[in-house]
Amino acid sequence: MARLAAVGGALPRGLAAQRSLRLGSSAFARASAGVVRFNSNETTPHPPPPPPRRPGASFQGQLTQSISQRLERERADLERLARVRKESPVARNFTLTFVLFFVGSVSWWLGYKYPRDVDPNSTLPLSATKPPVHKTAPVNLEAAWADFVEIVGQENVSTVDTVLQQHATSEWSTHQADPAHKPFCVVFPATTEEVSKVMKVCHTRRIPVVGYSGGTSLEGHYTPTRGGICIDFSRMNKLVALHKEDLDVVVQPGIGWEQLNEELAPHGLFFPPDPGPGACIGGMIGTGCSGTNAYRYGTMKDWVLSLTVVLADGTVIKTRQRPRKSSAGYDLTRLFVGSEGTLGLVTEATLKLAVRPAATSVAVASFPSVRAAADCVARVVADGIPVAAVELLDDDQMKFINATGSTTRKWREAPTIFFKFAGTPTSVKEQVEMVSKLAKHAKAQSFDFARDANEQEELWSARKDALWATMAQRKPGDHVWTGDVAVPMSRLPEIVEATKKDLRASGLTSSIVGHVGDGNFHVILLYGDKERKIAEECVHRMVRRAVEMEGTVTGEHGVGLVKRDYLPHELGEATVDTMRKIKSALDPLCLLNADKVIRIQKPARGEVTDW
Amino acid sequence: MPGQHLLGLRARPGLGRLMAATRITPLVHHQLRHSSTAAPRRGPGPLTLTLTSAVALTLGLSIGTLYGRLTSPSKPLQLESHGPNSTSSSLNGPVYAPRMEQLHAAEEIARLLGQDAVAYDEDELEARGHSDWSTSNSPERAVAVVYPRSTEDVVTIAKICNRRNVPMVPYGAGSSVEGNFSQPHGGIIIDFRRMDQVVAVHPEDMDVVVQPGVNWVELNKRLTQQGLFFPMDPSPTATIGGMVSTNCSGTNAFRYGTMKDWVVNLTVVLPDGRVVKTRRRPRKSSAGYNLTQLFVGAEGTLGMVTEITLKLAPVPEETSVAVVPFRDVKDAAAGAAALIRAGITGLAAIEIMDERQMEILNKYGSATVKQRHWAEQPTLFLKFAATKETIGPDILRTERILTEAVGKVPFEFARTKEEEHALWAGRKESLFTMASIRPEGTQMWSTDVAVPISRLADMIEWSKKECSQLGIFASVVGHVGDGNFHVAMMYDPRDKEQTAAVERCVKGMMKKALEMEGTVSGEHGIGIGKKGSLREEVGEETIELMRRIKRAVDPKWVMNPGKIFDWK
Repeated sequence: MARLAAVGGALPRGLAAQRSLRLGSSAFARASAGVVRFNSNETTPHPPPPPPRRPGASFQGQLTQSISQRLERERADLERLARVRKESPVARNFTLTFVLFFVGSVSWWLGYKYPRDVDPNSTLPLSATKPPVHKTAPVNLEAAWADFVEIVGQENVSTVDTVLQQHATSEWSTHQADPAHKPFCVVFPATTEEVSKVMKVCHTRRIPVVGYSGGTSLEGHYTPTRGGICIDFSRMNKLVALHKEDLDVVVQPGIGWEQLNEELAPHGLFFPPDPGPGACIGGMIGTGCSGTNAYRYGTMKDWVLSLTVVLADGTVIKTRQRPRKSSAGYDLTRLFVGSEGTLGLVTEATLKLAVRPAATSVAVASFPSVRAAADCVARVVADGIPVAAVELLDDDQMKFINATGSTTRKWREAPTIFFKFAGTPTSVKEQVEMVSKLAKHAKAQSFDFARDANEQEELWSARKDALWATMAQRKPGDHVWTGDVAVPMSRLPEIVEATKKDLRASGLTSSIVGHVGDGNFHVILLYGDKERKIAEECVHRMVRRAVEMEGTVTGEHGVGLVKRDYLPHELGEATVDTMRKIKSALDPLCLLNADKVIRIQKPARGEVTDW
Repeated sequence: MPGQHLLGLRARPGLGRLMAATRITPLVHHQLRHSSTAAPRRGPGPLTLTLTSAVALTLGLSIGTLYGRLTSPSKPLQLESHGPNSTSSSLNGPVYAPRMEQLHAAEEIARLLGQDAVAYDEDELEARGHSDWSTSNSPERAVAVVYPRSTEDVVTIAKICNRRNVPMVPYGAGSSVEGNFSQPHGGIIIDFRRMDQVVAVHPEDMDVVVQPGVNWVELNKRLTQQGLFFPMDPSPTATIGGMVSTNCSGTNAFRYGTMKDWVVNLTVVLPDGRVVKTRRRPRKSSAGYNLTQLFVGAEGTLGMVTEITLKLAPVPEETSVAVVPFRDVKDAAAGAAALIRAGITGLAAIEIMDERQMEILNKYGSATVKQRHWAEQPTLFLKFAATKETIGPDILRTERILTEAVGKVPFEFARTKEEEHALWAGRKESLFTMASIRPEGTQMWSTDVAVPISRLADMIEWSKKECSQLGIFASVVGHVGDGNFHVAMMYDPRDKEQTAAVERCVKGMMKKALEMEGTVSGEHGIGIGKKGSLREEVGEETIELMRRIKRAVDPKWVMNPGKIFDWK
């Protein structure tokens, strides 16, 4: 009881009050129980309270009285206690919540900061990804805009709608872009340092970035699916240094390959990869492009010696110096080639150059069937005849060229092979003879070769105009879809024939053009808005065929947005998961060209079409 | 009444903490109803107080920490900082299992793959732990060698080692020279000698699928009947697995490029045991990241290659060899540069040997080599590969270009197959001849640098001058066609002063090569020997990027640790 009193006395004391209160209540419970025991000596949980006795009788009576007095006093105390208690829950609640909150947040902070246990996995499956968090609220973007203006000057940051549209998608893209997918602004940097600074701003502010150079890519490579900004390299279009003796050249990413070759021509040199006109070096590196010269000279990755790259946090790295070959460390150069701007922004490239051949020639042979044509090519390749290019145009394509009338001569409307030869005059002559022999052997219906430069130009012009000739067949409102797959060479006739059959059945206007020397070919499909589905399915079937024949879903156009769901089928989940792991290691915030090449976030239901 | 909450909690110290926490409400009601009649309870001593605080703390701590970890984002890319990031295994680097634990791992592998798949024999370990050819060897040795027979075996090995934090060191032929297969952290050697099958030849697609233990010379013998060959020509003992990992080349690199240009796809067992195939079999592809060429030259630090599809080239219709001595190295290099610039399609290799090498040929060459007397001058060895019709004109053109570049030179070319063989033998045997005349106890240090072609003459001359000051045997052999050359130096490893001098000289050469915008390794790789030089070549930031890739793919840092670059 003394304890109770003492506790009661301690009540008004500030913070200690709460603790005491709890003690008090508990003591009360014990006190009353004690009383009960005193009276009845029982331990039953619910004994009746002792009846009050008349005062002043016996000792027992006095004792009882004193007890009941005490009890009354206690009750009064308790009432007082209850009053006090009524006032204090707020404070008590507050303290309790505060303590819990404090402990919780301190430990949350610790857990947040402390490095996580090592994840022993070498891959990052899609199921383990967390959606990236970008800050694309107008306030943040506008503040970033001010930063960009400070870095590159106001005239080099554009928010003009036509400019934004141009950096969102193109007429020839196979990806149907969401109109909402456009950049907030386009930044035009002039130096690596500026790109690095811009990237640092975006890194701090968590703004997604898409690199842009020629805008000729086809699979939605530069469509900004997550808003953010676009870095256009058109001001970085200089040839930095030409090392004639070393057969290399240092260029900025905004230089076009045609312009580069013009500048190289007086020195007797050239840069072999020849993708679509208008393409720039930056984008060519991004997609790992090639073209008609790939058979002889290889693809983009074979012609890049070194890259200067701005990484996701603005760090500038250089992958190599200028040796022709090197085994020093990981081949970062070739990791960046073909990464479609998802790992870093290329701001300078050292390219290998080839010596311009002394003599060139062109020959054209038409064949009764695609298979016969492919057989001829297979022989040429197997015999190691160093032709510079081997291009196949199918009968439809030849028909369209005739229909357009862009060339002076009429062509036989049959599968046709265009050969390009390069070398010394004697070797070219020899090559032409050998190929002519092989062509006859493969039942060629005709074989023409150029005797002079003019004829050469004329013959090759048909190949050059192929895309335009097919596009000329467009009805108003039609779109064009350029499909691209590659298979091992021996499977080429099979896939071309199957694809042609499929295309005929679909009823769409189409043609086939191929870099058959390396098993790569394109279909050019024309479709109206209503036929989009049919076109999609045709391309889908072609891609599937290519994968089934141990080929690839893209020979040179890249993955972008359109083909990323094909990758797991071509390469297997584990391989794509490894790519994702590398992506997340180099760009943990997913700022660089998010969503391209590999998915970084689980797709919505129904987003992925069945294989 | 929250006061009662705590009361309830406090009055039932016997209950589990969690139970108490979850059952607060019914308890309170009970307490309220029977407050006057409840059974006696213990008083709220300091123990209960502590317990309550402990419960609150534990709950707060665990929920807080868990939530904190779950919400903790991947750290932004910051290459400058070496601090903790989302993928590092610890702040101070990887921790490997002690030797006993490593042995247990080997035993576990033996249980799964059979006893004959694992060897603990000291000689076998020594043979794979030290190489006389190598410029760098580490004193540590592995605990066991395992011999997998299939990709599945390698998966088993990787899973066990990754789980137990045991370093894995893949081993091919052991012909690498920078300590690429040393075991500085012990661990288990995975020797691929039993995976030596040619899986499939596709002559019409001009590719071949092989296992990593296939020797390239054997492969080429098998391919002759198809009229095809694999153009890389490193050391004759090398196997494909190692060739992939060091991104090798050889004399043919001028015409055919290096290993990376000839690999169509790789099947790789990642450190955690996952199997990836980087591509199918198209000759070209733009599909996704170029993992193939990331693994080529990664020296087994990212995974173990268990199957390779290689491109093949048609055997040239006609080949020939020409040998051209020059007044000095400068002229030879100038001649080579002129040839490169001319773009002669028939020219397959441009090799250089200095006067010391030629001298050795005359003195110690094999019978074939000694048939003729070699001019003891810096000499270019040229290989031609073309058609019957074009090879003649190409050789003539070559002679003309050389004359235009440096004046009249004695140009000798093979007219018959025998002559061709005899001439090329000079180049082919140089390394072995040199090795055979090596005095007892000396070792050979073979460097490997590459510079832009225009700097080649300066670089070779500078290197020769530096070496001559050492007063030891040193000579230059090079693939000048791509700006790559080797200096072979013989030194006595017991002579500390000499060893240090050679090392200094090599370091100087690396530095010079970098000044000339070259590379510290043209074809031998980095291994342990050139880690410092690599940092100088590409810079700390680029190395950090490589580290990031390594950490991502090999978070426990168990694949061939200590090569190319270190944890920090």
